[in-house]
Amino acid sequence: MVEILGYDTHMGQTVILGVIGSDAHVVGITILEQALSAAGFDVKNLGVQTSKDEFVSAAQKHDTGAVLVSSLYGHARQDCQGLHKQLADTECDAVTYIGGNLSVGQDDWDDTREHFRELGFNRVFDAETDPSAVVSALERDLDHRTAEPETQRVRMNS
Amino acid sequence: MLRDERIPDEELIEVESALRERWPTGADAEFESAIAYHESLPTTKRFADALESADQPLLQPRAGVPCLDDQTELLRYLDKEGGADLLPTTIDSYTRDNEYEKAQRGLEEARESGEDTLNGFPAVNHGVEACRELVEAVDAPIEVRHGTPDARLLAIITLAGGFQSFEGGPISYNIPYTKEHDLKETIEHWQFIDRLCGAYTKRGVRINREPFGPLTGTLVPPSIAIAVMVVEGLLAATQGVRSLTLGYGQVGNVVQDVAALRALRELGEEYLPNDVVVTTVFHEWMGGFPPDEARANGVIGLGGATAALAQPDKVITKSPQEFQGVPTQEANAAGLRTTRQLIDMMAEQEIIIDGIDKEQELIERTARSLLDAVFDHGDGDVARGVVAAFNSGALDVPFAPSDSAKADVLPARDDDGRVRILQWGDLAVDQEIRDIHDARLDERARTEGRSRSFRMVADDVDAISDGKLIGRPTASESDSEESGRATDGTDTIGGEGDAD
Repeated sequence: MVEILGYDTHMGQTVILGVIGSDAHVVGITILEQALSAAGFDVKNLGVQTSKDEFVSAAQKHDTGAVLVSSLYGHARQDCQGLHKQLADTECDAVTYIGGNLSVGQDDWDDTREHFRELGFNRVFDAETDPSAVVSALERDLDHRTAEPETQRVRMNS
Repeated sequence: MLRDERIPDEELIEVESALRERWPTGADAEFESAIAYHESLPTTKRFADALESADQPLLQPRAGVPCLDDQTELLRYLDKEGGADLLPTTIDSYTRDNEYEKAQRGLEEARESGEDTLNGFPAVNHGVEACRELVEAVDAPIEVRHGTPDARLLAIITLAGGFQSFEGGPISYNIPYTKEHDLKETIEHWQFIDRLCGAYTKRGVRINREPFGPLTGTLVPPSIAIAVMVVEGLLAATQGVRSLTLGYGQVGNVVQDVAALRALRELGEEYLPNDVVVTTVFHEWMGGFPPDEARANGVIGLGGATAALAQPDKVITKSPQEFQGVPTQEANAAGLRTTRQLIDMMAEQEIIIDGIDKEQELIERTARSLLDAVFDHGDGDVARGVVAAFNSGALDVPFAPSDSAKADVLPARDDDGRVRILQWGDLAVDQEIRDIHDARLDERARTEGRSRSFRMVADDVDAISDGKLIGRPTASESDSEESGRATDGTDTIGGEGDAD
């Protein structure tokens, strides 16, 4: 089997991952899934062509620490409208990241990032992001949550 | 119940009539008049004959725009300025999703605004007459190229419209393209398409069928691609297809690419019935391209050189603008000419390269093992077998978005840049073959001073667009697993927006 570089420090922290909308670009999330699993996260990969509703219900079901949205086909703005409201409605306090080719054409990256920050994403990544950058960011953002009681982790895994 | 058996005449006719009612243009797609139309075409438009009789690889680009006039002009340009031997008509994404109403709106917008509001030619909306106008307006034979899981109506209309070659297949247009389409159902849909092609064939109009070899286009191990091609070929042959072009996508290692194309032809001829004419098509690199057009031309050139060595029957060319998406006609024609230059300069040289036979043997052995698993899973029935084999993971495709495949297999390049399997999942391959792959990947790991891991996969996926073949770690990456992508010594963590 493949030797992984993981540390078990995040074991049990659930991270939801998926490609939003009708986008079928799978390579990025496949690699991200590997990277996050190796780092010890419990990854729920929803796969490609995942709707907002599917993200929200998965987040609710798994009491997730983070929701990671990927989009490569340029329609992320439309696809993500209302996602954060729906998450808030279910009292989900997960951190949310988005990454990929987030706009059609050659829009200015600062504007694109600002747009998605305004939508409610905690972090916005471009398509050239190394998976380790996402792992580091998650480690920082979820750090304070690792102090949660042991019992809760057990419950989450069961 | 799904079986690899020929669809009876009555069922073909019944399903065909029902499908033709799904969109108004279906009414004109009448089989008998279509046969008469094909018979009226000059012999130079017979796709299968042109392909099968060629003595050098024939070149074909991809191209599709919404309006008939523009498509005609584009194909004429690629013929005249690019020297294409075979022409394509690439179908738009709405049609691929069977969303003919959306395609209609897009087509009307395109006609009004003069802009390309669809990413291809909506052939169902255009209908039989427009297809015939297109076929008549250009000199070379044309193929329908798409990516449609349920392409039955598209096939009915385009074949009646005079096209004589139809790309795709039940696995190759499902597993890499969609998430939820059920594989069993997709096989039934393609059995219908192949049966329709078989009906034309029986009447003397030999429709060429071309399963899509590159699959997910991302480091697909040759053995997996070849096994899928043989399975799709067998399913098509059962329905009466007699001209089959099996495909393979360039991985960029010359030895492996030549070996794979030879293995593809070898196994295709061995497994398919004798009355099927098997040809091969080589797709120039389907993964990420360098943004720099000069470098992109280098990738295309390597494809041309590989084709000169391996002598496939056909080459699907790329353009130097691949990075940006749909190319201009000039760039598209340039890709054809670059490929032609390489093939013509190399074709008459005798170039001996070590290691091809050994690699071919490994590919064939692995592909046979996968095919045996398919036959076993279906108790000899290839249709049921392939569904079961994908379900169990005995057959698998890396990076497949489809729920019908496990997508547990992960590939990585070895120290020589050949695509090996890093993570096997449940792939039906024996330990001896696995050991060979493992040893090759260990060799790379030693060279790079890191362990075998998914990081190699991540690095390999970007390597060619970054200007190399193998995704070697950069200096800072091997120092620390924490660092982001390092370019020219600057550690940029991918434009991440800091939320704090």
